[in-house]
Amino acid sequence: MKDRTRKGSLGAGHRTFVAGLTQLFAVGILSAALALPATAGPREQAKRIHDRLAGVPPSASVLDTMEAEVDPFRAGTALDAAFTAMENPNFYNVTLKNFAAPWTNRERSVFVPLNDYIATVVGMIRDDVPFNTLLSADLVYVGNGSLGLPPYSSSNNNHYAEMEQRQIDMMSELSPTAQSAVSGLPSNATAGVMTTRAAAEAFFVAGTNRAMFRFTLLNHMCNDLEQVHDVNLPPDRIRQDVARSPGGDSRLFLNNCIGCHNGMDPLAQAFAYYNFNVDTGSIEYTPGQVQPKYFNNEDNFPFGFRTPDDRWDNYWRAGQNQFLGWDNSLPGSGSGAKSLGDELGNSAAFASCQVRKVFQAVCLRPPQDAADRTQVDQMVMSFTSSGYLMKQVFAETAVYCMGD
Amino acid sequence: MTDLIESGRKGVIRAGLAGALCIALLGGCGGGAQTTDNPVTGVTPPSSYSGPPPATDDVQSFKLNVWDNIQASNRCGGCHNDSTSQTPMFARHDDINLAYEAANTVANLSQPSDSRLVSKVGTGHNCWLSDSQACADIMTTWIEGWAGDAAGGGRQIVLEPPVASAPGSSKSYANATEANFAALVHGPLLTTYCAGCHTSQSPNSQQPYFAEDDVSVAYDAAKPRMALDSPVDSRFVVRLGSEFHNCWDDSCSASAAEMQAAIQAFADTVPLTEINPLLVNSNALRIVDGVVASGGNRYEGAQIALWEFKTGQGATAFDTSGVEPAINLTLSGNYEWFGGWGVTINDGKAQGTTSASKKLHDLIRGTGEYTIEAWVVPANVSQEMARIVSYSAGDDARNFTLQQTLYDYNFLHRSTETSLNGDPALSTPSAAEVLQAALQHVVATYSPVDGRRIYVNGELVTQADPVAGGSLVDWQDTFAFVLGNEVSSSGLWQGTFRLVAMHNRVLTPEQILQNFDVGVGEKFYLLFGIEDIINVPTAYILFEVAQFDSYGYLFTQPHFITLDSTQQPDGIPLQGLRIGINGAEAPVGQSYANMDQTLSYSQFGELGQPLAEIGAVVPLEKGPQDDEFFLTFDLLGQQTYARTDNPPLVITPTDLPPASRFGVRTFDEINATMAAVTTVDPAQTDVDLTYQSLRQSLPTIESPEAFLASHQVAIAQLAIEYCNVLIEDPAMAAAYFPGFDFNQAAAAAFAGANRDLILEPLIDRMMGFGIQTQPDYADVRNELGYVTSDGTRPDNLIDRLLSSGAATRSISKGVCAAVLGSAVTLVQ
Repeated sequence: MKDRTRKGSLGAGHRTFVAGLTQLFAVGILSAALALPATAGPREQAKRIHDRLAGVPPSASVLDTMEAEVDPFRAGTALDAAFTAMENPNFYNVTLKNFAAPWTNRERSVFVPLNDYIATVVGMIRDDVPFNTLLSADLVYVGNGSLGLPPYSSSNNNHYAEMEQRQIDMMSELSPTAQSAVSGLPSNATAGVMTTRAAAEAFFVAGTNRAMFRFTLLNHMCNDLEQVHDVNLPPDRIRQDVARSPGGDSRLFLNNCIGCHNGMDPLAQAFAYYNFNVDTGSIEYTPGQVQPKYFNNEDNFPFGFRTPDDRWDNYWRAGQNQFLGWDNSLPGSGSGAKSLGDELGNSAAFASCQVRKVFQAVCLRPPQDAADRTQVDQMVMSFTSSGYLMKQVFAETAVYCMGD
Repeated sequence: MTDLIESGRKGVIRAGLAGALCIALLGGCGGGAQTTDNPVTGVTPPSSYSGPPPATDDVQSFKLNVWDNIQASNRCGGCHNDSTSQTPMFARHDDINLAYEAANTVANLSQPSDSRLVSKVGTGHNCWLSDSQACADIMTTWIEGWAGDAAGGGRQIVLEPPVASAPGSSKSYANATEANFAALVHGPLLTTYCAGCHTSQSPNSQQPYFAEDDVSVAYDAAKPRMALDSPVDSRFVVRLGSEFHNCWDDSCSASAAEMQAAIQAFADTVPLTEINPLLVNSNALRIVDGVVASGGNRYEGAQIALWEFKTGQGATAFDTSGVEPAINLTLSGNYEWFGGWGVTINDGKAQGTTSASKKLHDLIRGTGEYTIEAWVVPANVSQEMARIVSYSAGDDARNFTLQQTLYDYNFLHRSTETSLNGDPALSTPSAAEVLQAALQHVVATYSPVDGRRIYVNGELVTQADPVAGGSLVDWQDTFAFVLGNEVSSSGLWQGTFRLVAMHNRVLTPEQILQNFDVGVGEKFYLLFGIEDIINVPTAYILFEVAQFDSYGYLFTQPHFITLDSTQQPDGIPLQGLRIGINGAEAPVGQSYANMDQTLSYSQFGELGQPLAEIGAVVPLEKGPQDDEFFLTFDLLGQQTYARTDNPPLVITPTDLPPASRFGVRTFDEINATMAAVTTVDPAQTDVDLTYQSLRQSLPTIESPEAFLASHQVAIAQLAIEYCNVLIEDPAMAAAYFPGFDFNQAAAAAFAGANRDLILEPLIDRMMGFGIQTQPDYADVRNELGYVTSDGTRPDNLIDRLLSSGAATRSISKGVCAAVLGSAVTLVQ
């Protein structure tokens, strides 16, 4: 016989809510309750951990297990409960998939087909791959060969589209492989998710390749260009296509354009050999040959910088943007996207950004007060000092926000 | 190799030869006039010359290019002739050879702009136009035409060592306040005495608008006209005191004194900017201390009209082509003069008279081909059918028009093969987006053979003209030439003209490229002395400097040079070059801050050792007459400056408003949740189809505040589908609802305790149990269908559905969906 003794009354407020819902019963629907005042015990905390991590309620048995782990008077720890929740496939198929999907397109829409970018994020988190290699690893996750999926193709997304259409479980059916082995890119030209086909299609297509940098900054450093605007840096690497007197007014350039381009252009130079070819539907890499898009509108300012190669320099290591926390063990310059990915992935801003994104996803709010910020700082410390393991961040965040 | 040529006072020696030099002449380096064709002078006033024929080709060239233009009585010929005998008699009518001799005493064929003839008219000596600069330009053009034959080569740039001057302390507008300007100058004087014209709202509206009610607008306009370091030299003061321009109180000296006192009072509020004594800095220069680096090398052999917009004030843009009659354009509406030569059309136009414009008709019909050339800065890329250059009569009739439509240039041209309105137009390809809101050199050519072509920045950008070349027999000579609008003012183009020229020949691609390479605007070579730093006499850093627009300067082509070719410095390190202005480093635009070079004589080219390809734009402060520049170095020779980095940004976090601690599940979570609690496979066809159609109608963010009624409707639809599949599948239903008989009639199936067979599985699976944050079990059960003996819940869902006559499965689905689509599953 099931124990119903612990089903609590929710008081007058709740009764009012239920009475109000009676109207909807006429069509057989119980509407949503959006105010649930209650004190959370271990069982409620366990449910919330599961809800937030897996996106679905726990089964009765899992809830019992997790309750025991959360209960301070019983065996296990709350972190164990979080890891238990992450054993639910929906953590990968729902939570992580939608966690990563907005990073893979310019509209930042979550409604995009499953792609290699998303799958790689899911796989890296699942396998505890150090997440600071997200932007530099020669790695991509594909569906297991036994699934009979169309093979990974650098010219279309069929492999992942079918995986999604067949609702293949990413918890059990994703396998890591070298990106260079399937995409045709040389290993030293791979740069984690930045050189996945989905990222290339979204951010290397047309334009000037600045989009790849800007969206990487936005998605993985949690700063848009406005937040790193610094007019004091030398503008010597700003390309020729940036008008220095737009519409005949150089104040616009000197007060606005320069503040982003002086730092962005020398960093985005790392992508000088990349393009997304819309005709072939695949990423294009031309080592030693700067893509023509780097010379678009070169007459806008003939005295601007002409890109000779893919050397990048991080001007933000000086001046106000030092606040992004660059890794002093790295040189701050290099050639190509992979070393740029290292530069970005090992910054304090990258680590902090991942933790903040997890915090938002699990707590359903940004850090909002001193307690939250302290918790975030602690989790960033834990993240960077113990191998950049994202599941640990999810677990710690879920426990912090499990209610009390 | 630097060409150093000795000539009179200025040494002219080939570099590498011994001898101390202080002057360098650089041949053909961007400034020389190399035109060799005669300018078109077909409509110069006819002369009645009947004296001896020109003795030489050079005399003939003088006659064609200069004498024919100046001999008339309303020009130099009114005085400098053989009857009035005003010497020198270079416009005498009796003997062209004697006139030629006289002219040689006042013309400098190697440097036409330095001619006495030019300087005289340039300082107002009987200039036949209202702007003496325009007369000087025209005279220069004529002499260049003569020199084109005589000199046989380009004009040469003379690099003279500037007077050594240390950067002085000065006052900068960076330290001035708009409020002080308003209180001390704008309010008391400008709005009181100048608002009759110098505001945009005045019936006699006259740029610049330094008396505008809006202090910010007035301040911007007034800045270049106030000399903070020397108020007596302010343009405001000079205009009153020396040029007697609309003085008040019947005394120009009193007005000037009052203005000077006001500016002095304002200047007194501005602290001096003291140069940092630790800086390693060069000598200081103003732009006007430099050597003019522009003015020639354009191909002008068939040029029949030219507007360079040098005047900088007034309402006339002069045609300085030297080809009569000049099509001087009257500026009207809202326009502004553009710093560094140009005019910006905001809502106005620049239009010539129909009689003067007839020059184009006559000279172009004579050749049957022509070229429109313009340096323009489109203000935006959103304007359509905006006339840039037009020779037309209104919206429906034109000889030609160059216009902007979004990112495209359009070229309309009347011929026997096109309409009277010049249609169909030839356009640049839209996909290429060649038109940008940046300075562009656009050239439109027409010839009967090749039709129309458009070149942008030296490159042909149009495909072959689909319209065959026709004749210009239908051209009208009653149209007017206009810039920036249609003559009817119905085709406004917003943007800036830096130069416009008309040619009655098709410029070749090479000639177009040549004119593009010359650029536009006034450029100067500035020599920043560094000899004291590196102990190399006559050592300079050379820059080409131009006023870029009304708000900035452009520094390009940095070179290291020594004017004394015996100096052969080598291995001198230079790092971190920055541009200083008015006693301090420019705060922005330091393109050379990362420079790392070694100065060596062995690297010398024409202008010395090139140091960088890139240019720098730095903000204008006081204006080109007053801004004083210098260079600083982090390392030069043995001297260093220890620069401190700006500190990292410190972000002080602020608390956000308290946020909800719970939220709603989002689309995929809702689907997965429904699948989990119903045991229905989400891949089941009906469910999947329904979900895919509803996916984007479900909540996408967790915030409860963003939850909409439409979300609830979508949730309901999905819940019903899940419940439908669950209950219609006998095996699944039996497993989920053990003991419940779906085949019984409704009344029996839901009789008494049977209801628990439906309700309990639903509530337990969907709501969970023992969870305090979920609704109370009894409350939910009673709402759904629990009947107490005392009838306290007569209107529960099951009873209501029973009373409607619904079937067992339908009632079951309704009850199922009521729970599944409710807050118990939605809220997380």
